[in-house]
Amino acid sequence: MGTTQGLLLVVIAGAAFFGSRIAFGWMGRRWAVVSGAEYLLLGVVLGPHVSGLVSSETLDSFAPFTSLAIGWIGAQIGARLILPTLIRTPARFYRVAVVEALLTVTAISGLMTVALMWAMSLPWEVALMPALAMGAIAVVASEGSVRVAGESMPDRGPVLRQLEVSTVTSNVVAIAVVSFILAWNHVMPDGARRAPTTTEWIVINTGVGVVGGTLFHLFLGDDISSDRLFISMSGALILVSGAAEFIRVSPLLATLWFGAVLSNTTLRPARIIAALDRVQRPLYFLLLIFGGANWHPGVHGWVLPVALFLVAHIGVRVGAGRLSARLDGALGSLGPQWGWGLVGQGGLTIAIALSYVFQDRLPLPNVVLTAAICSMLLTEAQSARLIQTLLRLRLAPRPGVHAEDA
Amino acid sequence: MRRLVVLVLLLAGMQLILPLGIPGHGSELLLTFGFLIIAAYSAGELAATFRLPRIIGYLVSGVLFGPHVLGVAPAAVVHDLTPVSQLAIALIAFLAGAELRWPEVRERGRAMLTITLAELIVDFVLLAGFLALVGSRLPFMRGDTRTVIAIGALFAAITISHSPAVTLALLNETRATGPVARTTLGVVLLSDVVVVLLFSAVLALARAAIPTQGVAGVGLGGTIWEILGAVVVGSVIGIAVLGYLHVVSRELFLFAVVVAFLGMVVARLAHVETLLTLLTAGFVTENFSPPGRAEAFRDAMERSAAPVFVVFFALAGADIVLADLGHLWIFVLPIVAVRVIGIRVGTALGVRISRAPAEVGPVWMGLVSQSGVAIGLVAVLAQAYPEHGDALRTVFLAVVACNTLLGAIMFRSALGRAGEIVEPHTGVKVGEPG
Repeated sequence: MGTTQGLLLVVIAGAAFFGSRIAFGWMGRRWAVVSGAEYLLLGVVLGPHVSGLVSSETLDSFAPFTSLAIGWIGAQIGARLILPTLIRTPARFYRVAVVEALLTVTAISGLMTVALMWAMSLPWEVALMPALAMGAIAVVASEGSVRVAGESMPDRGPVLRQLEVSTVTSNVVAIAVVSFILAWNHVMPDGARRAPTTTEWIVINTGVGVVGGTLFHLFLGDDISSDRLFISMSGALILVSGAAEFIRVSPLLATLWFGAVLSNTTLRPARIIAALDRVQRPLYFLLLIFGGANWHPGVHGWVLPVALFLVAHIGVRVGAGRLSARLDGALGSLGPQWGWGLVGQGGLTIAIALSYVFQDRLPLPNVVLTAAICSMLLTEAQSARLIQTLLRLRLAPRPGVHAEDA
Repeated sequence: MRRLVVLVLLLAGMQLILPLGIPGHGSELLLTFGFLIIAAYSAGELAATFRLPRIIGYLVSGVLFGPHVLGVAPAAVVHDLTPVSQLAIALIAFLAGAELRWPEVRERGRAMLTITLAELIVDFVLLAGFLALVGSRLPFMRGDTRTVIAIGALFAAITISHSPAVTLALLNETRATGPVARTTLGVVLLSDVVVVLLFSAVLALARAAIPTQGVAGVGLGGTIWEILGAVVVGSVIGIAVLGYLHVVSRELFLFAVVVAFLGMVVARLAHVETLLTLLTAGFVTENFSPPGRAEAFRDAMERSAAPVFVVFFALAGADIVLADLGHLWIFVLPIVAVRVIGIRVGTALGVRISRAPAEVGPVWMGLVSQSGVAIGLVAVLAQAYPEHGDALRTVFLAVVACNTLLGAIMFRSALGRAGEIVEPHTGVKVGEPG
């Protein structure tokens, strides 16, 4: 990377970051607008395929940071999977969440396979991989939006609780799906005696995270002073993300396990989560900027499938929410529209798309990235307001619904 | 014991991962970076249990896992991690500048300057004299008498430099405050400026004495701009940081990294001394910030710098070629010894001339470590005299390796003797038996 290029990039990204941080911080408090989409847009504009302000070489030189940001997101999701808290949540919330997530992945993947076969004249076995990736993207739900909306509500009803459980479940399902795609399509490494199977790759992927987390726990011991915690956690997380990226398996799955091991082996998981959150913001925005910069509009034929994905994503999410609630007999407490609360898409959307793009050999990477970017741009900013509206509607007293349902 | 187990497990894990790897998208870089943080930090804690400075552990882990011994961190990846070292130098310089308070500079500035000049002059004269004496027996000084004297003087001008990185790392580690800690920091920072000026002057004289086909390097005018320009550019950056802290004062962690990176790039574009630029920026920020804001910013910068420092020293260790040390020790050890004697005598002279209190006597022990600016200057020298370049660089890096390891141990010992080390859990100053 040239000095001037690097300087330019830092100046533009820095100014944009601080400017929008201040502006959106105020807007977030005033109108519950979640910050994020503007960085994605900034990345698209700066990228080598639109304005060319950031060259492909610069983008490549920053790839390790993007990988680290992807890993950091996985660790944050994993760190919130604290077993005692999970156990205290009633099973019906999980039933609804799991059914809803699986319905969404299946429906979107199936629909997009057919759409890609038709729109791009692809055989099904080629269309399946990008379709599955789009299924994984569709199932991602924005935790930030639910948190922002929840903070402004005076009362915690069943819908908010269900949305909290569903966002975590959906994100875990999304990571599992993209990890499966990467393991299934893995090529044989030069140093291996035989090609590991898909199952073996998933075990290796999980092992990297579990061993990394255990190593961190062993390293940290009882001394959990903030400096030590920060250095060791940064090192371990960089190591785990790098190891997963190096062997071309999902950094998201590895760091999800890493985060879960971390939180469940310490007596003070809140400190782990706080330490992760402290660095999350800059890495998150870096991920969005570079996610946007990786996009290029020059591939023909993506418009129809992406448009279909955007419509189908919202429709399927709302429909799957309704169906899962009905199957579990929870339609009365959750209402038929609760799935709208899962429509907002957070940074994990871009992390999943970039995990797919970075594999280099998977089909239609730009269609997958375009779908992720468009979906986030369309839904992120307004999702918290949508959830607030939904929660207010549910809080209004309705005949025939008892408090016990909550 | 636990640290050893972590190190063994890490190494075993890397051996399992490496054959499965498919490099690309900088993944090898990320893997090595993460490995070095954990491995070096564990080694640092292991060193601390033996009452050695942590940076000894960082350096040794770099040597051990670097390309010349176990090869877990390959040479190409170590090279690709150079920006991390550059960022570390920028952060170190900023933090060093932030350590200097104006009232203290006013109070001790004269004494510091006197000690610096006395120490550097005595050390330079002794080293240059020694090199002229043993002259042609050294592998990088083959030639006639004039060449021997000129190359010897240039080598001496670089060898007298100190290490702000090691000094600051040890001050951070020990939380030391007191006359020895503060005077050492001041002398080390001042000497960086003096060494750059002295080297440029000696290089100009040497070029007049023995013409060369090599690259001209920076002239005296350029050097003056490098230093004065650095003060100007650093002040501008400092004022910009002040503005941010005054108006916004948010996201300090990210802002700290951006400031270090920007300062580094701007200094390079303006052809001014990077270290001095960031040092000035740190000084301006610390001394003119609204109350409380400077501390918050320094805290954010220290936090963002912590993993970078660990890797910086590990990378410095990875550059040490043990094989070179093995066959060059006969040249290296006398140079190291003469340098230490020069520092000892020069500092004592400086303390006496400046009438500084006797308690700053152990300052000389903090001046032995070496890195940073010296490595940059030796590259300039190798470019100016390519016929001596490779041998000169090899001997010099071996000298730096010895001085850094020895210097870190000596400085910690000096702080301990002076009773300036602060116990991290109680905040009480503790002394150690010398």
